[in-house]
Amino acid sequence: MEAYYEISSYFRKEMAELHMEGETVNYCYQCATCSGACPVFRYNSKYNPRKLIESILTGRKEVIHDPNIWLCTVCHNCTEVCPQGVRVSELLTVLRNLATREGNFPEHLKAETRVLVETGLVNAPSKATLSRRAKMGLPEIKTADPAEIKALLEHLGFIEVMAKEGKAGKEESGGGE
Amino acid sequence: MASNAYAMFLGCVIPNLLPHIEVSIRKVFGKLDVEVKDIEGFSCCPEPIGIPGLDITTWVTLAARNLCVAEEAGLDIVAFCNGCFETLKEAKILLEHDAKLRGRVEEALSKVGREYKGRVEVKHFIQVLYEDVGPAKLRGYVERPLKGVKVAAHYGCHLLRPSYLLQVDDPFNPVLLDALVEATGAESVDYFRKFLCCGCGVGNLDEEANVKMVMEKLHYVTQAKADCMAVVCPVCFRQYDVRQMMINKTYGKNYNVPVLFYTQLLGLAMGLTPEELELKFNRTKVDPLMVKLNGGT
Repeated sequence: MEAYYEISSYFRKEMAELHMEGETVNYCYQCATCSGACPVFRYNSKYNPRKLIESILTGRKEVIHDPNIWLCTVCHNCTEVCPQGVRVSELLTVLRNLATREGNFPEHLKAETRVLVETGLVNAPSKATLSRRAKMGLPEIKTADPAEIKALLEHLGFIEVMAKEGKAGKEESGGGE
Repeated sequence: MASNAYAMFLGCVIPNLLPHIEVSIRKVFGKLDVEVKDIEGFSCCPEPIGIPGLDITTWVTLAARNLCVAEEAGLDIVAFCNGCFETLKEAKILLEHDAKLRGRVEEALSKVGREYKGRVEVKHFIQVLYEDVGPAKLRGYVERPLKGVKVAAHYGCHLLRPSYLLQVDDPFNPVLLDALVEATGAESVDYFRKFLCCGCGVGNLDEEANVKMVMEKLHYVTQAKADCMAVVCPVCFRQYDVRQMMINKTYGKNYNVPVLFYTQLLGLAMGLTPEELELKFNRTKVDPLMVKLNGGT
């Protein structure tokens, strides 16, 4: 229910903390050119870039509990078409970073990062692939030492963040208001 | 580090899910005057959709580590996947301009004994083909011109956008791939929704939106009477090749658009056979195209 909102006057400043283009959010005049160019919005009105930018401008930080902020395909059309030079896709990436810190991120990314932590890759080779590669005469690819990648991820606090449990959206992925 | 040798950044998708594309890459580049080298120690780029959404600093740090690996080998990078290209190039540009981010990244890298110096250039393979070889010279390698073949070129998103960071070509009116398609002797046809995203990024959360985006693309490619699509990203490739077959089966559709990775198309033009290019592993069948190439029936 939209009974009342907690307003964070700091919300738009957090954008600039995490991305060098974060301050561009202030130039938005809500023309919705971004939404018009968004391929996801065309098929799923739950993902509306203009409205998400509005939430940042008005300090409605509860938007980070909305699972629909993850529907973006990251095609960057919104950033390209903005007449005001607002880096829309970058801002919405920052929004998702803030959601992640609260434990709000989709399940499939949890699975993907588990593979990344274990192997240093997001698609690790299967036995079948390796034998097909050998049949095709392809060389063995020597990838990074997984221990080094894990050490980096640990240092960055990434593994800890990914272990968090969110308070919203888990039971109803793709739902929302 | 300008020279015409590059460290080959194949990414996670091509070697592990689409090795037949890797065959075409190695065979085609083997004929050219550009050296692409296997080097040891790359991790996932990491992919530019989910990982930056989780944490931008982590995304840029792992990318910077990959740039360090190439730097230690003394080579610039050529990427064969739009996702890898965006990640590595964008990380490079962000590190040049964002001092706060660079501080965090450098600190993390120091923990594993690496230092980012920023000397490595990152190119997508079609930039290498266009800038280092050039369409005119490429024509010299063509033994079987793809005369009369109409190709729908699909650039994908992460090659072109965000253009203020990637600096490759015009974000909605590029020429690189069209020129390379025409260098094979084929015709690059204009079609509606040429810059529509393949929809991979939304597939895990909204399958229906993804399917509709793929169908929209295939509809307009078919309407333009293209004989095939040419793509330069393995993720786009999977969307139009594998998912096309899935859509035909699940949604009772009848799309019939052969999908080729650009090096497969170029390989055919260079005179390589479908067998040499392992084209049987493409889910969409290239037979109609081959019939046309062999003079029709």
